[in-house]
Amino acid sequence: MTEPGATGALQGALAAEHAAVYGYGVVGAYLTGASRATAAADWVAHQNARDELEAMLRSRGSQPGPAAIAYQLPIPVRTSGQAVSLAVILEERIATAYLGLVALSTPALRELGALQVRQSALRAAFWRGSTVAFPGLTAAALAAPRRNPALGRQS
Amino acid sequence: MADPTRRALIAAAAALPLVAVSGCNGVNVLASPPRQAADVGLLQAAIGAEQLLVTQYAAVLRGLTGSGAGASAALAAALEPLLGQHRAHLAELRSRLIVPGGSASPSPAARATRAPAVPAAPAAAVAFLRAAEQATAAAMLGRLPGASASLAQLFASISASEATHVPALDDALRDVPGRAGA
Repeated sequence: MTEPGATGALQGALAAEHAAVYGYGVVGAYLTGASRATAAADWVAHQNARDELEAMLRSRGSQPGPAAIAYQLPIPVRTSGQAVSLAVILEERIATAYLGLVALSTPALRELGALQVRQSALRAAFWRGSTVAFPGLTAAALAAPRRNPALGRQS
Repeated sequence: MADPTRRALIAAAAALPLVAVSGCNGVNVLASPPRQAADVGLLQAAIGAEQLLVTQYAAVLRGLTGSGAGASAALAAALEPLLGQHRAHLAELRSRLIVPGGSASPSPAARATRAPAVPAAPAAAVAFLRAAEQATAAAMLGRLPGASASLAQLFASISASEATHVPALDDALRDVPGRAGA
């Protein structure tokens, strides 16, 4: 039933969602007012996406990968501007992870991946204040397959 | 149907890199070359759609530049990067269709090069582009089911980019003072 690679792609997306849930907690802590409210809404969106991925993995008989206890942030965050930059980075990584689902041939997984790439792109564009041509298809995404849940993954 | 040009196109579409994004299943570049013939048709349709969008943006920008007002200049400045991203979409899509011997493909792209009719008033023109973005993004998603893995990723990314253009257009219009003429 389950397409080869589906579990790995779902686990990859889940790892990115775990990192985003952690990261948005940091983002929100450095923001105030409307920005903080937006960060809180995005944080909830990532929690919901994480829960959905965990349920999908369990329904396939797989144990969902756990969140790490802590994550190394990809950039230092001491200011609201840095917090916004972190949100953009988190979303770019999320979009890349969900492109892994788009690569599957199972229609429902491909569709879910595309939907989440779009949602992530919309959040990223809000935080960035501008749009990009290829959400998730960044040079960094091309360079390094994600292997662990660390935010500061470097190859 | 199976002329040499078409076979070369198919081969080009098959030889594409797949973005390695998921975890341990070190992506199957060599696995299951799926439905290349379908990819060619999907690519041509996507190229035609992007080409149309590029010409529509260009036509709107020509109208704004012609009107010369300050508000139009601000709007044009907001539209320029979006047009640039569509040009990038078009270039990436075209790069995945290699036509041998420099013979251009007589595909939807050729038909779309006529200057399209676009509304003249700034607000109406932006609303027109907004609807075009939504339609193009939806059509791009509609191409996912038949596409190879690599092309599906590109379509999904382009569709997501176009989805972000919708709020960007809303912001651009909001920033235009005295937006009359819708």
